[in-house]
Amino acid sequence: MMEDEAFTDINGKTISLDCQSHSSFCREFTVSSPKTSMAKVMVYTCCVWLLSYTVFFFTQNTAVLSAAIVITLVSMMLHIHFVKVDHESLLVIGSLGIQLSSNYASGRETTTFIEMNKIKDIVINEAIYMHQIIYFLCVLLKDPSEPDAVSSVVPLFQSSKPRLNCLVKIYKSCQEILSKC
Amino acid sequence: MGPDSAPGPAVPWQKVLWERQPFPDNYVDQRFLEELRRNEGVRQYRYWSVVKEAGFVGQQLSCVALFITLWLYMEQGLLSPEMLLLTSLVCALLGYGLHQVLTSQIEPGCEPRTRLADLQSAAIFLSFTFGFSPVLKTLTESVSTDTVYAMSAVMLLAHLVSFPYAQPSPPGSLSLNAALFASVCLASRLPGALHTFAMLSCALLVFALWPCLLQRLRENAPNQFTGVCVGMCIGGVGGLGTQSLGGAMLLAIALGSVTLLCPLLLVRLQRHKDNIHGPWDEAEIHEDLSRFLH
Amino acid sequence: MVLKIFFPQCCNRADSGLLVGRWISGHESAVVLAVIHYPFIPGQVKQYVQQMQTRSGVELSVLGSWSLPKEGQEGMESFLRDLSTIFPQKRWLQISRQMGKTGFICNVLNRDHDGESAQKVKRKKKHEDVKGDEGEEDKEEEEEEEKVIFIHYEQRKVMMSQLHPIENGLQDPKTDSPSELRQMFQTVAQSQPLFFMDKYDDGPLKSTHWQSEGREASIIVELLKQASVPLCLLVTWLLSLWTWICNIRIFSLYPFCFLSSKLSTCVQLSYRTEHMRTLSSPRPAAGHTQFMRKANIFVSFLVDVALGMLLISWLYRDNHISMLANTLVPAADHVAKQLEELLQWLMGAPAGLKMNRALDQVLGRFFLYHIHLWISYIHLMSPFIEGIFWYGGLSACLGLTFALSLLSDMVALLTFHIYCFYVYGARLYCLKIYGLSSLWRLFRGKKWNVLRQRVDSCSYDLDQLFIGTLLFTILLFLLPTTALYYLVFTLLRLVVVLFQGVLHLSVDFINSFPLFAVGLRVCRFYRLAEGVKFRVLCDEPGTALHLLMEINPLKVSTVVQTYRTPTYSCYPKDSWAALVKKLFVGELIYPWRHKTTKTD
Repeated sequence: MMEDEAFTDINGKTISLDCQSHSSFCREFTVSSPKTSMAKVMVYTCCVWLLSYTVFFFTQNTAVLSAAIVITLVSMMLHIHFVKVDHESLLVIGSLGIQLSSNYASGRETTTFIEMNKIKDIVINEAIYMHQIIYFLCVLLKDPSEPDAVSSVVPLFQSSKPRLNCLVKIYKSCQEILSKC
Repeated sequence: MGPDSAPGPAVPWQKVLWERQPFPDNYVDQRFLEELRRNEGVRQYRYWSVVKEAGFVGQQLSCVALFITLWLYMEQGLLSPEMLLLTSLVCALLGYGLHQVLTSQIEPGCEPRTRLADLQSAAIFLSFTFGFSPVLKTLTESVSTDTVYAMSAVMLLAHLVSFPYAQPSPPGSLSLNAALFASVCLASRLPGALHTFAMLSCALLVFALWPCLLQRLRENAPNQFTGVCVGMCIGGVGGLGTQSLGGAMLLAIALGSVTLLCPLLLVRLQRHKDNIHGPWDEAEIHEDLSRFLH
Repeated sequence: MVLKIFFPQCCNRADSGLLVGRWISGHESAVVLAVIHYPFIPGQVKQYVQQMQTRSGVELSVLGSWSLPKEGQEGMESFLRDLSTIFPQKRWLQISRQMGKTGFICNVLNRDHDGESAQKVKRKKKHEDVKGDEGEEDKEEEEEEEKVIFIHYEQRKVMMSQLHPIENGLQDPKTDSPSELRQMFQTVAQSQPLFFMDKYDDGPLKSTHWQSEGREASIIVELLKQASVPLCLLVTWLLSLWTWICNIRIFSLYPFCFLSSKLSTCVQLSYRTEHMRTLSSPRPAAGHTQFMRKANIFVSFLVDVALGMLLISWLYRDNHISMLANTLVPAADHVAKQLEELLQWLMGAPAGLKMNRALDQVLGRFFLYHIHLWISYIHLMSPFIEGIFWYGGLSACLGLTFALSLLSDMVALLTFHIYCFYVYGARLYCLKIYGLSSLWRLFRGKKWNVLRQRVDSCSYDLDQLFIGTLLFTILLFLLPTTALYYLVFTLLRLVVVLFQGVLHLSVDFINSFPLFAVGLRVCRFYRLAEGVKFRVLCDEPGTALHLLMEINPLKVSTVVQTYRTPTYSCYPKDSWAALVKKLFVGELIYPWRHKTTKTD
């Protein structure tokens, strides 16, 4: 079964949460980040080009213009390859583990799988982010030799940053699976 | 409830914190201000005694003026270095004799310096100054004259400010060093190495040895001390007057204000002193701790 | 609890037979390793499994049955069920695949301790690409007491991959057991003997696993293995000869000892000797780490020698050496002339600064005399320079690193005058700074208390004060002159140190870069695994979960960090702040790193 719902992120932009239930103990949550607006790209590009044109106007050196084009293209490529996350997903498989993956706009995918014996719990936490206090989901890890202590924390959905109502929904179904195993 | 509003129970308030009482912690009662004391241990000054003490300051001021006068004479070639050296030697011998006389009057509390040690110190002064005077002469060659003057002025001012007027006998490090630094700067502008040597010897006499002698004089012959101070002031003003009238006027005004005006102000303003003490002061340890130290 | 079955992809289309594998204790999971086909004699299978168990050290067992019905092989259900009585197990898996379907059906037979078999049937099916198989829905209506996950894995990749971070040495049974995935990887890697039997073997049993179509091997690797033994012996003999030469007593005397620790060629020689000693050790590498280390050293060595050969082929062609030698002396003359001009400039009023004329002249003449000495030394050397180059160039056949180290040493020798200037300037400046700082304390009537490590006040004698102030004034007015000379020569020295630092860095890079590991990461990414990632194969609700386990390769940066050969660049470096502080107080800086210094 699949559900697709629209939520907002902490900046008020629309994001969509896609819950996919493969089985009673395996669910996948995909949060798609808002698309980069065309206006923003235009503004940045225009800024760079206007600047380069000003420099060109004073120096009369055409290398400046070609450099501006190259800079724009390279920074766009770097942006979509390393910065712009298209969607992030969380795959919870009961008794096996949790897999976090984020897909960049260029198609690059980074995946981390955390085994069940290292997971202590999944919680919603508060954090101070710039000037605001936000909620985020995080996986608490434990060392198998010390089952009571939290050894580290892995925050989830770091780039899309959904709001609390979305997090609660994910949290509830995660806990449902985790409590069964 | 405010700290002053008494709850009115029968239990009297105690100024202790270790017992549980029906009062807030910051509560005080009516007796609080009874322990206020004003102007505790204030000494009442009399005008002329203050003027007498301020004479030392004025005298030090005119010492600096005298040194500058001597340097001006040297720079213009009006005073030969041999002459200055000779005068310094005579003054030093006379002063040393006087110092010995004054020291012998008091019973020796601690071990006095032997003649040999004095001679050794003198030898060190003279040999080092003489040895370094060629180096010192070329030291500030490339530095501009204004810089040197400014530096000397600042250093002489630092000397005057940091001079230990109350107890000048072991000379204060900073004041003596500042004066010596200034005199090295000034001496390096003189035309020859011998000039530098003479000027430095003179500086040593004026800034290092003279305050020691004066202190002895203040301890043993207070009447003569006043006379010497007045003499130094007149000498300073007169000496500077031969070089620059304006400078002499300024010095005279400064001397007058330091020795006459400032004491007057001090005595007048003492009436307005209002210093309060009370139980809120931090604790003072009145025991003499010095016996623990040895 | 969910039952996890790790199933090799190569067995998806295997003929019916018995599943051989291992139950991972404590994790409710089974690793299927191979399928043994019909027909077989149960005794032989038992014997074979026993034999494999002793050879691989893995607790192998017969997990259950596998059936892929072909035409004319229908109705084996009861036969397969009976098999479980032949191979007594606590649990018996009956995995089957239906004709023309992609789904797996799994029955789990639980046997109680008293031997009575209670059967719980669970059927699942798999859809790889078929979506609309409505006809099989009825099979999933049975009770779901036990859930099954099929995790498909690629046997070859899993067997060859190494999970990171590497757990050193053998597992200690006392400590907590490794995680489930690690155990699964270990099981597959250790049961290599099981994969030796291929279809060309004429034994009584036939099986399917990743190598059943024929074993993978390389003729080149086998030949190299054969050749490596005599080669190692030869290298060992040469090394012992070299060690004997190095241990002659004359080399342990003071000047040799000192020189060899400072000349980068000697340092590089000792590194290379150590590397060769590691390579030529007759024992095979124990463990993954050591193997990778050896391989990295070997590949670096090969690349180094190849680069050196390239350099040699360039140098000895078209008389390049004599060209280089002929340009060196004019270049040195040019440098000396520039330096003389610099000194003349400093002896005047450089940049309008007013310096003490007398001291300026003294220092300037002193340094001019040094340049004169150096130029005579270069001219004295000039007939021999070509010869030195010619023989020095031969060292490149030992590797590019040797040539670079030699170049660094030659630069150090040729710029010895700059080093001298720098040392004189730094010593003078250091003396001034320390003198000034202590005399400044005297100026304020303080002193440094060594016992308490703090500044105390102190009453000085009249003569101490007088002499102290005199010296303070002199030092203060001479400081700018010294500081300027120090600054200029430190900048020169920094240029040389920077050049040497770049050479050292490149040598270090060649020595320590794990080329083999990076190559492995690029060409066979599954060999170095950071972990695994799962993909859901079945996206229909209600059906069994089928996951595909893929290997998550290690990041390249992590590869470099993990496998770089330890050299002196791994030692903690001085920070930039420490360097600036050293420069400020006039302490000497050196390009070599192991003596607490810098540059990169």
